[in-house]
Amino acid sequence: MTLFKDNIAWLAARDTSLAAAVTTSAGGVLTIEPARSGVPSARRSGRWIHSAYDPIREAESWADTHAPACRAGETVVVAGVGLLYHVAALRKRVAPEIAVAVLISDLDEFHDALVARPLASWAEHILWLSGTPVEIADRLSKTGRPLRCLSYAPATHSDANFRSTFEQALRRGVARQTGGQLTIALVGPIYGGSLPIARYVRRALETIGHKVQWIDHSVHASSYEAMGALKDARNRQLMQGRLAEVLSQWTLASLAESPPDLVLSLAQAPLTLPVLEHLRRKKLLTAMWFVENYRHLTYWQQMAPGYDYWFVFQQGACLDAFRQAGARHVGFLPMAADPELHRPMDLSDEERRIYGADVSFVGAGYANRRRLFPALLRRPWSFKLWGNEWDGADELDSVLQLNGARIDTDTCMKVFNATAINLNVHSTTGAGLDPQADFVNPRTFELAACGAFQLVDSRSQLPDFFTDREMLSFGNFDEVPGLVDRWLGDPAARQAMAAAARARVLGAHTYVHRMRDLLGHIGLSQPDRVGAVLRGDRQQESLLSRCAGDVPLESLLKDFPAGQRVELKDVAARIRSKGSTATLKREELMVLMLDEYRSETRDLL
Amino acid sequence: MPHEPSPECRDLVIQLARLGDLVQTLPAIEALQEVYPERTLDVLCAAPLTSVLSGARRLGRVIPWDGAQWHAWTHQWKENPRQTLQAMQAYVASLGNMAYEHVYALNRHARSCLMTQLFTGPFSREDQQDRTEARARPWTEYLRHIATRRGNNRVHLADAWCGMSGVKPRGRAPRFQPPAVELPDDLASIGERQGLWVALVTGAGEADRCIPAATWGRWTQEFLTRTDEGQVVLIGSGRERETGQAILESIPALLQGRVWDATGRTSIPQLMKLLHACRWVIGADTGPLHLGTLMGSRAIGLYFSHARVHETGPYGEGHWVYQHATQAQPECWPIMESIALICDDQRRAASDWILWRNRMDQWGTSFEDGSGQEEGVEDARATVWRALSPTLCESVAA
Repeated sequence: MTLFKDNIAWLAARDTSLAAAVTTSAGGVLTIEPARSGVPSARRSGRWIHSAYDPIREAESWADTHAPACRAGETVVVAGVGLLYHVAALRKRVAPEIAVAVLISDLDEFHDALVARPLASWAEHILWLSGTPVEIADRLSKTGRPLRCLSYAPATHSDANFRSTFEQALRRGVARQTGGQLTIALVGPIYGGSLPIARYVRRALETIGHKVQWIDHSVHASSYEAMGALKDARNRQLMQGRLAEVLSQWTLASLAESPPDLVLSLAQAPLTLPVLEHLRRKKLLTAMWFVENYRHLTYWQQMAPGYDYWFVFQQGACLDAFRQAGARHVGFLPMAADPELHRPMDLSDEERRIYGADVSFVGAGYANRRRLFPALLRRPWSFKLWGNEWDGADELDSVLQLNGARIDTDTCMKVFNATAINLNVHSTTGAGLDPQADFVNPRTFELAACGAFQLVDSRSQLPDFFTDREMLSFGNFDEVPGLVDRWLGDPAARQAMAAAARARVLGAHTYVHRMRDLLGHIGLSQPDRVGAVLRGDRQQESLLSRCAGDVPLESLLKDFPAGQRVELKDVAARIRSKGSTATLKREELMVLMLDEYRSETRDLL
Repeated sequence: MPHEPSPECRDLVIQLARLGDLVQTLPAIEALQEVYPERTLDVLCAAPLTSVLSGARRLGRVIPWDGAQWHAWTHQWKENPRQTLQAMQAYVASLGNMAYEHVYALNRHARSCLMTQLFTGPFSREDQQDRTEARARPWTEYLRHIATRRGNNRVHLADAWCGMSGVKPRGRAPRFQPPAVELPDDLASIGERQGLWVALVTGAGEADRCIPAATWGRWTQEFLTRTDEGQVVLIGSGRERETGQAILESIPALLQGRVWDATGRTSIPQLMKLLHACRWVIGADTGPLHLGTLMGSRAIGLYFSHARVHETGPYGEGHWVYQHATQAQPECWPIMESIALICDDQRRAASDWILWRNRMDQWGTSFEDGSGQEEGVEDARATVWRALSPTLCESVAA
């Protein structure tokens, strides 16, 4: 115990409360065993968390892999405690101006580490992070330093929840810091359900101050549709495939015009794997928000290695499947609403007459809905069905509106607003409710954002987004008539629940929230690229403060307005604007020269 | 009595393009030295190519321009503009004197214009340099017009650069002595023993200008079979090592002893020494062909795709170019025909190919195809010169 006491005394001299907490912790979660090399190694729950042969060499190898990416001024946060071999190795490999912090998720494990190994001189320059994950994340965010998160995987199996909460809080912290303007190329699909979402994403990104290059492939939809008229399936697929390839090249050509900080695609965006690989070689960051049920649309299996970041609205098995298919980073990003569009509306009496009903459903005629909805006919309340693809559902003809025409967003919003009870049934190809109810559709958030009351089929994620005072769900469709009877007679309760749901969406589930999360996720894992821009490192005032005393550079930067992101091309453009006959200073000529080389580097094609 | 160049009066030639273009700049450099013997001429070129100019007589400094470093700085700027600007300033300062009276920028891109401004002395920025620019402009426009129209440019690029620099070609091709470098042991005897030594350029700058290894294999076999004197030296960069190996493996073992694979094994000075040791150099890559002629070899170019004899044909006299009749990839190659040129000095037509031979006159080098229109060609070139450099032509006539 002398070693432990010495370590605690050493720690107490630097962090009294942590030392006290470790002293009172029980320890005993690690089994310490000597490695072949003679130094202590450890197991947790039977699994080795350091090499049984040579833990020091293993830790050095881990540190060699990660140290080169660490940059001056950053705080490197290491998850996974173990016996701290990897922390010592990393500390020795990175420059003194890089701070190294260790995330202590389990005091018992830290206790065991202090029993097994002495804290040597390397530990002098370690920041020990203990507390709740949110507290730690807030502490780190407040430092304003760029953060780089590293994980020593063998020692992180037991603290997955802690790390997940910590990283989520950090992402939110990064997103809150947003002081800089990113340029984001947004690649939309040719047609389909993700097209309107691409538009919401665009608005959200612009709302939070980023510059969006919208690569709109919907302008090619009529050509794609025309090819769909070919009767021969092989020819049809061939032609539509060729068009998708051309549009992929089109995207590349568009990106080459002005390379962005990030290429963000929405599901079904026509970007082929070779083009994505080409973009990676050119060092462009790519991300995909896959707003589709991964079980139904499976092309992601081939595309998984192509994008740097995937965002999906399903968790658990979905995240694992993407990783197994070769995705490097997969994050959870649920659907949302756009309050600009999805909002309460003042409708005229005539509009209420046309669009209103006691119960309405808006959506396509999937198999399960065709089987379930006849149970809503011949009731004491009115029922209207809106949407397309209901051909052959003869029983529902009497309630189908506009002869089953596709309805636009404006009409959809009027229906939501005019209806007493909006039914929201997730689609599936089976007969009943979706048996794998592991995501929440956009309609849920859109209805809530409209302040419209809804009855939604139960989803495993629903409690994460709404409380039962905000959202009414059913687990069995047989419950629906009874619930309609009950809630139809209580307009005040409906209004209260709908208002609460709307407040919840506005506070946590808009596309602005989602885009902040998405950028926070990427910014956290790219602290020197997207992260640097988000922190405002490329803003004029930040650049000026960092070049204090460098007169030539100050003279180049000082004419830009504060708050503007200033890149090399902007400085060069400002110099060129002096005209071709101006006598330029040497540093101005050098900046122009550098910009010429940059132009070559950005050559994407 | 010849003037000694004065270190006080310095002019600069900027040539940032690749190997072939740098060699093709030598006629302009030598003409400038002849016209202005009292002035010191420096050359700024891509850093990896400075050794090419080590054999140039009376040249001042050869300034290396490190393009790779500038590319690296474009990334560094994002993270640390201050450090980047300081590094650039230190780099430019390390290049020494930058106050040239005349800067002859031969590349017509923005970087070259910026370098001209960087390297021009403040006293000459407006006056002298404007005159230099005015002199170069008609030639620049002419070359751009030719490149766009892809018409017949009977004025060779090397001579057009003379025109851009305000001097007339000297009427003879530059020739360098072999550099004093050691070759790898197994290549040291190249050229020493009696024989008809041919350097075979295995690759080319772009993939669509490469001659297939199988074609070279056949060429090598036919040549070595045709003459017992024949010795073939395979040359190329590290990228061509596989091609070299494939050529070697494609010929019978009995002939392999007369094939010397130097691909990827020579520095530029060593390559110059090898080329000096060979009587002929054949290939599609214009850079080594130009280097070969500079070292005294006779060249046979096989030009196809976008390589054009009048723009990048070997400079001087007595060199040959087979120009493919279309821009399509050739289906047959002038193998036996080019071997006949080397072995018998016999001009033989090849289907789909036009054979050109060059000669020198007062307007520089030109190519004739044996159609008997050489005099018309000379008139056409004289007309171009008179139109683009009237003052220069008048002073020569006077």
